[in-house]
Amino acid sequence: MAATEQARRPAWKTLLFSYEALLLLVLVAEWLFFYFAGTTMNRRGVVVGFGTLDRQFDILRHSCEIGLLAVALTPVIITGGIDLSVGSLLGLCAILFGKFWHDGGLTIPTAIALTLVIGAAAGGLNAALITALRLPPLIVTLGTYSLFRGLAEAITHGAITYTNFPSAFLFLGQERWLGLPAQAWVSLPIGVAIWMLVHRMTFGRSFRAIGFSPDGARYAGLPVNRRLALVYVIAGVVSAVAAIIYTARLGQAKADAGTGYELFAITAVVLGGTSIFGGTGTVHGTMIGVAAIAVLKNGLACLPVVMRMNAAEEMSGLLTGALLLVALTAGVLPKIISELRARFHLGAKT
Amino acid sequence: MRHYFRELSVAAVLLVLLAALAIFAPAFYQPQPLLSLATREAPTLIVACGMALVIIARQIDISVGSQFSVCSVSAALLAAMHWPLALVLPASVAIGAVLGAINGALIAGLGLPSIVVTLATMVTLRQGLNMLRQGEWVSLPDNVQWFGLSQTVGQWLLVAAALALLVALGLAMRHLAGGRFVYAVGSDAEAARLAGIRPRLGTFFIFVFMGALTGLAAMMNIIQSPQVQPLSGVGLELKVIAAVVVGGVAISGGRGNLWGAFAGLLLLACIAPALTHLRIEAYWEKAIQGAIILLAVVADGLRSRKGDA
Repeated sequence: MAATEQARRPAWKTLLFSYEALLLLVLVAEWLFFYFAGTTMNRRGVVVGFGTLDRQFDILRHSCEIGLLAVALTPVIITGGIDLSVGSLLGLCAILFGKFWHDGGLTIPTAIALTLVIGAAAGGLNAALITALRLPPLIVTLGTYSLFRGLAEAITHGAITYTNFPSAFLFLGQERWLGLPAQAWVSLPIGVAIWMLVHRMTFGRSFRAIGFSPDGARYAGLPVNRRLALVYVIAGVVSAVAAIIYTARLGQAKADAGTGYELFAITAVVLGGTSIFGGTGTVHGTMIGVAAIAVLKNGLACLPVVMRMNAAEEMSGLLTGALLLVALTAGVLPKIISELRARFHLGAKT
Repeated sequence: MRHYFRELSVAAVLLVLLAALAIFAPAFYQPQPLLSLATREAPTLIVACGMALVIIARQIDISVGSQFSVCSVSAALLAAMHWPLALVLPASVAIGAVLGAINGALIAGLGLPSIVVTLATMVTLRQGLNMLRQGEWVSLPDNVQWFGLSQTVGQWLLVAAALALLVALGLAMRHLAGGRFVYAVGSDAEAARLAGIRPRLGTFFIFVFMGALTGLAAMMNIIQSPQVQPLSGVGLELKVIAAVVVGGVAISGGRGNLWGAFAGLLLLACIAPALTHLRIEAYWEKAIQGAIILLAVVADGLRSRKGDA
C-alpha cells in the first residue's frame, strides 16, 4: 500500500515532504521562539524587541544584500561550481560606484549603470578563466577574491570613504516605499527572475545537467561553457546590485564593504538544500535559508541573555557556522545510515 | 629537469624579483630586517607545509587561520598561567591536532566536501573565540618571549626550526611511504583504495597533521611578542593557499611538492617589503597577490591544455 502511494504521490505531497518545507517549518518555529522569548514591554507599555513590525522590516532590509548574493550563488553551486569572490566584488563595486559619482562627476543613474557593467565584467573574468582555461572555480575565485578586494584597497588607499550621497539615492536603502523597505522592491524581482531562470526555463535544466556531469552535458549537446559563463556573469552583476543597495543603506562606500558576505551567502545556499557537489538545489530553498539566518541574527540580538553578554554578533556567527555543519551532516546522514545498514544486515536483506 | 619545470619557473621569478631589488633598492639587503622578515614568515611556512599536504591529497583547509588563532590564544593563556614552555608547546600542538581531527572526521568520516566543512569550522572557531575573549589581548610573562633567549638567537632558532621541518617533510614526501601515500590519495582515491591503502583514514590523519602543524606554528608565533592578539590568524588561510598554489601544487591534487610551496611563499612574502623599497604604495599588496595567484593558475591551465593536445 505504502509503496503504491509512493509511486503515485501527487505533486502537493512531494512539496509537503520536501526539504524546503521542513526548512520552512524550522524557520517558523525559530521565528515563534524569538517572538515569545525576545519581545518585551518597556516601562511605558510599548512593545519592544523582536515582535514589532519595524523589526520585521529591519530583518527584510538587512537580508537584502546577502539574499541577493545567495540567490545569485545558487545557480553557480547547482552547476557544481563556487564563487568566493562575490563579497570582494561587492566591496570593489561599492567604492567604484562612489568614485564614479564623487570623483567622476557622473549622475547617480549613470554611475549605477557603469557599476553594473563593472560587475558583469568582473563576473566575465571569472567565467573566462573557468570556461576557456578549464580552471577549477574554487581557485580562480580565490584569486579574484584577493584581486577585487586588493583593487578596492588600492583605489581608496585603504582610507577614503565616499559619503554625502543625495537623499534621493539614500531613499533606496533607508526608506519605505509602498509599505516595504525600498530595497526589497529591487531584490525581490531579481530573486523571482533567478527563480524563473532556474525552475521555469530550460537554462535551469542545463545547470543541473552540468552539475551532475559536465562531460555528460557536453555529450548531450549542451553549450556547457556558455551556460557556465552565464551563471558567473549573473553572479557578478547581482553582486554589483548588492553593492549599490549596501551603499544606499549605509550611506557610505568603503573598501571593506561586504567582507565575509560570501561566507554567509554560501551558508544560506547550502542550508537551503542545494548540494555543494552540484546537480540539485532550489532558489526558494536558498531564500528560506537566508531568512533563517537573518531571523537568527536579529532574534539573538533581542534575547535578554544575549544582550547582557553583549555578544550577539559573535553568537549568530557561531550558530550560523554550527547550523551549516548540522545541515551538511543531515544531508549525508541517510546515505551513511543505509551504508551502515548494508554493512551489518547484508546477509539478512539478500 | 623537465619534471621540476613549474617549481624552477617560480624560483626564477623569485630570483628576478630579488635581482631587481638588488639593483633598484639595495637597502632591502640588510641582515636585521631580512632576519625579521624570515622570522615573521617562519610560522607561515609551517602552515604552508601542512597546506601543501592537504592540497596534494585533493582537499583544502580554510579553517587554518581560525585554528591558528585558537591555538595562539590557548597557548598564550596556558603560558600566562605559568605553565612551563616545554608543556605549552605540546599542548598547543595537541589542541591543533584535535581541531584538525574535527575537520578530518567530518570530511573523511562523513564524506563531506572539505571546502564547506572547513568554511563552517572557520566561522565557528573564529566567532566562538571572539565570543569568549571579546577581542582581549593576552599578556605573556617575560620568560616566554624568544624562549627567554636573546632576540637574535631566538630568531635564528625559529628560522632554523622552520627550515629543518620543511626539509624533513619535503624529503619524507619524496622518499617515505607516508609521503607517497599522500600523492596516491590525491591522484586517485579509488585507485589508491584498490591498491590496498585506506584513503579515508589517510585523509583523516592528513587533517590531524595539518592541525598539529598549525598548533606548532601558533606556538612559534606567540613567542615572538610580549602580547598575543586573538585576530593573529585572520587571512592566514588565503596566504598559505596562495603560496602553495603559486608554488605549483595542483589544486586538483596529486601534483606538486614542498620546495615549490617554499618558493611560492618566499615570492609572496617578498612582495610587501619590495613594494616599500620600490616606493610603490603598500595598498597594492593584496591586488598584486591576487594577480600572482591568477597568473599562476592561468599558467597551469595553459600548460595542461598543451599537454592535452
